[in-house]
Amino acid sequence: MKRMKRRELIFKVITYTLIFLLLFPLVVLVVWSFTKNWPWPNIIPREFGLRGIKYVFGPSSKSLKILLFSLWLSSVVTIVTLLISIPAAKALGVYDFKGRRIFKMLVLAPVIVPSVAVSMGIHVTFIRLGLANTFLGVVLVHLIPCIPYGIRILTNVFEIIGESMEMQARVLGANPVKAFLYITLPLISPGLVSAGSLIFIVSFSQYFLTFLIGGGKIITFPMLMFPYIQSGDRMMASMYSVVFIVSSLIFLVIMEKTVKTYYKAENYFYI
Amino acid sequence: MVKKLFLMLLILVLALNFAACGQGDVANVKEEDILSKDWEEILEVARGTEVNFYGWGGSQRVNNWVDTYLAGRLKEEYDITLNRVGMDIDSILNILLNEKQMNVEEGTIDIVWINGENFFTAKTNDLLFGPFTHKLPNFNKYVDKDCVEVNYDFGFPVDGYEAPYGKAQFVLVYDKTRLDKIPRNYKELLEIAKNNPGKFTYPAPPDFTGSAFVRNIIYDIVGYEQFLDMEPKKETVEKAIRPAIEYLKELKPYLWKEGKTYPATIAQLDNMFADNEVLMTMSYNPNHAVNKKKTGEFPETASTFVFDKGTIGNTHFLAIPYNAPNKAGALTVINFILSVEAQASKYDPQNWGDLPVLDNDKLNDEEREMFEKIDIGEGALPQNVLLEHRLPEMPANLIPIIEEIWMENIPVEGE
Amino acid sequence: MYKWLKPYVLLLPAMMVILGIFIFGLAMGLIQSFGYFPVVGLNKITLKYYREVLTDKTFLSSLGFSFYISLISSIMSVVIGVLLAYSIVQSESKKGIEKVIYKLPIIVPHAVAALLVYNILSQSGILARILYSFGIIGDQSEFPSLIFDKKGIGVILAYIWKAIPFTTMVVYTVLSNINDRLLEVALNLGADRRQVFWYVLLPLIMPSIFSCFIIIFAFSFGAFEVPYLLGPTSPKALPVKAYIEYNNPDLTHRPYSMVINMSLTFISVILVWLYHKSFKLISRYDG
Repeated sequence: MKRMKRRELIFKVITYTLIFLLLFPLVVLVVWSFTKNWPWPNIIPREFGLRGIKYVFGPSSKSLKILLFSLWLSSVVTIVTLLISIPAAKALGVYDFKGRRIFKMLVLAPVIVPSVAVSMGIHVTFIRLGLANTFLGVVLVHLIPCIPYGIRILTNVFEIIGESMEMQARVLGANPVKAFLYITLPLISPGLVSAGSLIFIVSFSQYFLTFLIGGGKIITFPMLMFPYIQSGDRMMASMYSVVFIVSSLIFLVIMEKTVKTYYKAENYFYI
Repeated sequence: MVKKLFLMLLILVLALNFAACGQGDVANVKEEDILSKDWEEILEVARGTEVNFYGWGGSQRVNNWVDTYLAGRLKEEYDITLNRVGMDIDSILNILLNEKQMNVEEGTIDIVWINGENFFTAKTNDLLFGPFTHKLPNFNKYVDKDCVEVNYDFGFPVDGYEAPYGKAQFVLVYDKTRLDKIPRNYKELLEIAKNNPGKFTYPAPPDFTGSAFVRNIIYDIVGYEQFLDMEPKKETVEKAIRPAIEYLKELKPYLWKEGKTYPATIAQLDNMFADNEVLMTMSYNPNHAVNKKKTGEFPETASTFVFDKGTIGNTHFLAIPYNAPNKAGALTVINFILSVEAQASKYDPQNWGDLPVLDNDKLNDEEREMFEKIDIGEGALPQNVLLEHRLPEMPANLIPIIEEIWMENIPVEGE
Repeated sequence: MYKWLKPYVLLLPAMMVILGIFIFGLAMGLIQSFGYFPVVGLNKITLKYYREVLTDKTFLSSLGFSFYISLISSIMSVVIGVLLAYSIVQSESKKGIEKVIYKLPIIVPHAVAALLVYNILSQSGILARILYSFGIIGDQSEFPSLIFDKKGIGVILAYIWKAIPFTTMVVYTVLSNINDRLLEVALNLGADRRQVFWYVLLPLIMPSIFSCFIIIFAFSFGAFEVPYLLGPTSPKALPVKAYIEYNNPDLTHRPYSMVINMSLTFISVILVWLYHKSFKLISRYDG
């Protein structure tokens, strides 16, 4: 019993140390977003200021409107990516077929290839299809960097649960749609939350492709934020980052809670 | 197999290119239409429209000036809605280039904030609409059309394809309390670096400001005249700037981190200066120090200086893309920016602090007074000091060559 | 129903996006790397750009630097990420705030992560200030050079700061859903906790670890932001070189950028393929 306690303590220490190291930089970020100046060697800033928060929440910057639009855009991207990724992940995780390995590699291609290499061809294609400078075009182009995350994570989930459960339901007479809705979906719901969160984050922080395909007609939050990061205005950059992080966090927590309450009972099916 | 694949790809791309051609030159006809109209008609067309203004969006003060003053006044005067879109010039050029490739007749961008190499690229690739400046009443009335800085942009003829927006000049920034003597030339700079090892550096070219610093050193050592008509050949340039490269090598061991590495961007150097890590920073905006003091980032004792032999100055411009959807609106906005009122508001460091482009001799007393009464703020150099120490920019096509030579010679360790 | 067709049908929507949009972009990049870029007047297909880039002596040192950064970043992220996931599972408390809060860095864009690392680890960063106030260092210059350095410490730290929570999240999802009864059975059969970890849990989470590793590796191998903002002036990481060439206002330089990008892609594919192979070998050996 004593041994158990010590073990638990060790893991608690490891957990909290690592979490501290991960969070400390963010504390500094919050401090910077209210810092007017902070010369060496002060450990806390010499002067605080509200320039950042006033500008971000002021009417002339239109930041809040653009933030809401960005959240909406990325939610659409998340849902579409999940809809595309679930069947693909099931194919890769459950079935054995010719070319499976190649497809698995191909799915990773958007992570492997630097986006500047493909951007021109994509833009030209989108212009041809009349998708440049449109909402639909930006959603489509966001799918590209998001799909690898969706498919890889869900593939791992499908590899673990396999097809047996769904097959049982089918044998017992459920039609494919019902089997999927009542058996598979609850089973993969924790994976859906992880994948969905990542997809949302990847989409929400895109800016290079949004610039190009959106052409300035579709303006997302990172497009306001990145010029300040590049110009080194630390107060503005930090303030925008804090708003960025807090709003995505709220969004993700709501998403996770919704899925969890919906599938509460079915959370113990793994293996 | 590989050959076959390659051939297929080639055919695919070619097919797309051809398919895109032959969509007619309707856009050109329209352009002529607008330029053949007289000014009153243009204003009439522009009334009540939206104008999309694209350009660098990294300065809160500049953004604020455009979003509040400029947008507000345009609404009042012409009922024009100005949409500012903060976007890198690289992205803007890529969008235009790709649209050009596909012959898109109606794009999204009405006005581009541009200059130098990027203007050179845009103009040589036919991405711009024009010549249009002769149409603007304020350009005709207030701008000195014989001035080199209006007619040439980084040594490249403007030909009426862009209108001046403001003037910039390279300056060095220091903190009075931490550095008692300022270097008047490259020799004194070396002296100061030797006395304060590790306390000076510059951003690595191709950073815009770092690259300008290197050119300034070159001017200070070998003079500027020879570069204005130099052929863009690496051997020629290398020979001309050798003394300056030797100097930078001599300076290197006394720099921050012994010159083994350099800040990648001017933003990082500014932050190092704000954090007291280095004694000097630099900027291509002469009011940089004042601006940064206003936001509280730089200490109140930060101040500006230039070399005795002068520093490089340039003009930044506004251009209209070949496929701008609202050219009449763009012309109206640019004309308003060239008004005495807008230039004076822009010059006021309370707003932005950008040097005006109007010719002093063409202003009447009342108009001149609008500029003179503006308080330029503590730590900035007055306009006449800057103008007396102003050197012309190098031709744009020499700059990448110099950056390449710097990269090959300076950061590499031990030779 | 054609049963063998089923997986292909399921893959179709995803492949339409990847093949339909992405591959065309890649094809255009590839063709530009051979010097075909008619809109700026380059009409000849040539290997000149490949020859020039690949024989340039800085290419190899840049490649080495990129490889080193990606490898160290992905190994450290995966090891620490799994440790954190396992620790959270083992020390699970009822409140469970630690299950959410560690994920925060995932949300932070890479460029912001670079800014944070700069704020903390530069010679005038928070860490240096703390050491100075305790009198451990007497001046900024005594603080070790952790960013813009040739060891790429700042770059690696920015990557692992972002990637540890990513790994943890993915692995934790699997770990927390493994049925407790499975572990009880193993313990009842006399296995100790260490054995349970190595022989029961690890094989189950291995596919996730594998996925995380290649995603982190491929990403850090091909992205420019972090090494651009925190890396040394020389050697530059390969994606940084490609990015600088891409932004060269002289558009006839575009093929150089594309050659570097294509080389990056090619090397990445080879590495991922080799990793696949070796992973298969190990898992076969184990099982």
